[in-house]
Amino acid sequence: MNTQLLTNRPGVRRNSGGAVNPFRAQYRRRLLRADLLTVLFWASLAGAVALWLADGGVAGFSTPAGSFTALGIVAGLAGMDLVLLMLLLAARIPLIDQTVGHDRALEFHRKLGKPALYLLLAHGILIAIGYGMAEGLDPVSESVALWVLVPDMWLAYISMLLFIAVVVTSLVAVRRRFPYEFWYAVHLLTYAAVLTSLPHQFSVGGLFAEGTWQRWYWLALCIATGAALLYYRVVQPLVATFRHQLTVKRVVRVAPGVVSIEMSGLRLDELAGSGGRFFIWRFLAPGLWWHPHPFSLSAEPVRFDAAGQGTLRITVRNLGRGSSQLASLKPGTKVAVEGPYGLFSTAARSRKHVVMVGAGIGITPVRALLESTPFQPGNATVILRGHSESELYLGEEILDLCRRRGATLFHLTGSRPAGIRTWLPEHAARAGHRLASYHPNITDADVYVCGPSAWAHNVLEDARAAGVREDQIHYERFDW
Amino acid sequence: MRTRAAVSAALASAGILIAGWQSGLHVADTGSSVASAAAGSTGSSGSSGTSGSAGASGSSGSSSPSSAGGTTGASAKAVGTYAGSVVQTRFGSVQVQITVQAGKITDVTALQLTDAERKSVQISNRAAPLLRTEVLAAQSADVQTISGATVTSDAYLNSLQAALDAANL
Repeated sequence: MNTQLLTNRPGVRRNSGGAVNPFRAQYRRRLLRADLLTVLFWASLAGAVALWLADGGVAGFSTPAGSFTALGIVAGLAGMDLVLLMLLLAARIPLIDQTVGHDRALEFHRKLGKPALYLLLAHGILIAIGYGMAEGLDPVSESVALWVLVPDMWLAYISMLLFIAVVVTSLVAVRRRFPYEFWYAVHLLTYAAVLTSLPHQFSVGGLFAEGTWQRWYWLALCIATGAALLYYRVVQPLVATFRHQLTVKRVVRVAPGVVSIEMSGLRLDELAGSGGRFFIWRFLAPGLWWHPHPFSLSAEPVRFDAAGQGTLRITVRNLGRGSSQLASLKPGTKVAVEGPYGLFSTAARSRKHVVMVGAGIGITPVRALLESTPFQPGNATVILRGHSESELYLGEEILDLCRRRGATLFHLTGSRPAGIRTWLPEHAARAGHRLASYHPNITDADVYVCGPSAWAHNVLEDARAAGVREDQIHYERFDW
Repeated sequence: MRTRAAVSAALASAGILIAGWQSGLHVADTGSSVASAAAGSTGSSGSSGTSGSAGASGSSGSSSPSSAGGTTGASAKAVGTYAGSVVQTRFGSVQVQITVQAGKITDVTALQLTDAERKSVQISNRAAPLLRTEVLAAQSADVQTISGATVTSDAYLNSLQAALDAANL
């Protein structure tokens, strides 16, 4: 059934006309940062090759053997550069996270995996051919000779095998067959792969040769990457955990299989505005502590509640092995935390209108965003989607927030019609409703979508068809 | 806005590559002059290498000293310089020349040394003087290779052996 719970009062719409867009500057800055990161990415690749050219690399092309070797070196340099950039993308650097979002950064990281591996393989093969031609050996014998005779080369071979293992286990088809922990363990080998590749770059390759610019470039890039990983993936989580001292306050059942976990902690005002963003939680209880859970806040952090404590809240559904134990968390359990991450927040806003669409457990970050993101009464629409009213988690809170803030709320319940690609329930789809039917100014709105990916993609498609530009669409994926 | 990113990325990359290329041309000149400087203080017998390098991978001794060879008159055992064969390695060609006086090796100069990359040049420049000292002391090619410069050392000693054969030492 389709219930419009709150109608816009006619007087409110007036505001939508003339007022300036308060997010224009923020939006432009974010686009500028995104463009800057794009330029840095390509400049880094070009720089790796340019520094090799600057050190007289072209001279290699004077002979056929030298040409193979030179191409091999270029492939190796570009491959190494890509690997380091991939590590930076996965380092959860706030600049990257606040510009493209955690999910997009990891999506890009994943896209680079195969090209990087191909470059490294090309590096090995071309060098074997080039060196082999210079020595009068076929590439295979040359590879064996390199392994046996040239110091540090055996480590490079191991590095190559590790890289292959890491990329192969990350292929979607392969990854599905193994538990997450297996993939994660193999992925950690990336660090071993990078470290075992370094010796031959020092001794055989010219990357770190004294008296070259390449040396400084690669030293700087390697050190910066290592430092970023260490700081943002190890130090920052430890600091956040000790700074906020989160403990489970209580676990409240919201619906069958869905619980809200409330945590109290210190200095939570520092996390203001992170409602809707996600943290990676580790509940430090036996059997649970090693399992990291990415969950979004389902409410703005409260600086002082009635008892004078700061509180945070997440709302989770029993989705798998890890989540099912969360319902039985004991109050007082300590919580380690990393974050906040992601762009499901006001930081992504670009327009004065906002449309928030949530389905199932994806409703909970919508609830948090609705609480904090600025809008004039009448400029916001909230659409909640579920099979039944009982699946519209936190529905009462959301209704209350919509009333207070002047947002329009729709409950869309029921099954999707068979055979049609739509995100709407059957009756709404049959009635010819689209996303634009629920918010007339949709082309001037930010559209936030959170829910199962197949469903969400239908929403995104509908939004694009309605003329919403790509940079107005904010969809956070959690299947990374 | 995406086009702005694409255009500026393309321009920046092209600029960086061209800058690298330009300074590379400059380095390539000085690089070759460094290599030729390393090739031997005597500066003589410039003709050597190239013809030899075209031939199949120089396994050591077999090919006779390609060029230069003994200086003029007198008997075979008199003062003379003998160039060894050009030995191809994966890091570049190596060729040495010995100066023989009264049946003794008085000097060893490298006409060509591994120079494929900056790193190879460094290794060569470190290894060559050490090898020279060892050879002069041992008066033969039967000396230790330099650790960390195995490829260069082997090629150096192979070329040296060819030169010794040519000098009938």
